[in-house]
Amino acid sequence: MVDVLKKSIWVFHLNSGSCNGCDIEVLDVFTPRPDFERFGVKLVPSPRHADAIALTGPITRAMVPKVVEAIKALPEPKIVLAIGACACGGGIWHDTYVVVGGIDEFYKILKEEYGMDPPTTIYIPGCPAKPEALIYAAGILADIIKQKQRRREDVIREEDEEKRKIETIIREEIGSRHFLPKIIVKRGPKEGSV
Amino acid sequence: MSPMGRLRMLIDSLSHPRVTEKYPYEPIPIPEDFRGKPEIDPEKCIGCAACARVCPPNAITFRDDHEQGYRVLQVFLGRCIFCGRCQDSCPVGAIKLTKEFELVSLSKDDLYQVVKLELAKCVRCGKYTVPYRYIKYLMEKGPKILKYELLLCPECKSEVMTLIKYHYAQEVHE
Repeated sequence: MVDVLKKSIWVFHLNSGSCNGCDIEVLDVFTPRPDFERFGVKLVPSPRHADAIALTGPITRAMVPKVVEAIKALPEPKIVLAIGACACGGGIWHDTYVVVGGIDEFYKILKEEYGMDPPTTIYIPGCPAKPEALIYAAGILADIIKQKQRRREDVIREEDEEKRKIETIIREEIGSRHFLPKIIVKRGPKEGSV
Repeated sequence: MSPMGRLRMLIDSLSHPRVTEKYPYEPIPIPEDFRGKPEIDPEKCIGCAACARVCPPNAITFRDDHEQGYRVLQVFLGRCIFCGRCQDSCPVGAIKLTKEFELVSLSKDDLYQVVKLELAKCVRCGKYTVPYRYIKYLMEKGPKILKYELLLCPECKSEVMTLIKYHYAQEVHE
């Protein structure tokens, strides 16, 4: 990221239907305790002055053209910080009718209806996102820290012994009931024919 | 401001320690009951999908892959609201909320955790039913139902139950 952004990151804060939880955290992070301005981050009132958009909220349908306009106004390279569960994946509202449902659904609309390529996105999960998480994101942007979170995939296969043990117990159970083997082993007639 | 006032202010600000945290360069203390990233322990998980049922934003989802024979549990951290209901509902304590909050990532793919559990086959028709682990758990701690039901798919189960009722009715009739 460091070759893209060589100077301070100026951020335009865009609320797209958020509950104000994340917005308060965005304001919170500029207070002396977390002190976001250490990294040169500054809130600006227009996307034309900004390097990145801090997007909060699940993007309501009415807000879509405004978000598109803000992204159009953003100078290259375009960067979007998706703050909170709502912006990252729709959150609680991911399947409600009045909402697009997260930034990825919005990018589909951006590509299909407006013919624009999706900007670089940084996902900041949390409900709301912790101020420290925002600082972590700024650290990644400024190349101070490396990304920690990685996809994890585990495939669990049972051992054959375990499988056989379970099956023998069940077959014994079936054998102990005199009427069951003939019913279970071959597929019986359908309910209607009985 | 008078020179005296300025001096007082200088003394005031010098006598107070620095309040800004050194966070990204030094770790910060995390409260004991902090709810962070939920993590499934794949060695413990039985694949009952209770967590997927209670999850308010459907961050945890599951589907049965009938071709490969796996139950796929998926945690999407981007949608998680860290409420901890999955932890409360898990019967074996496989899913736990850790204290991890540094979840920032540059791609959506990194926010997923996927656990695949092998499915057992129905003894009657050979279709995939529920994970082996789940059957094992039900045999040990589940309700005392007839054990042959555990390795039947729902359709075969209903058919067998009908046949058993029919069988009993015939016996009584005889």
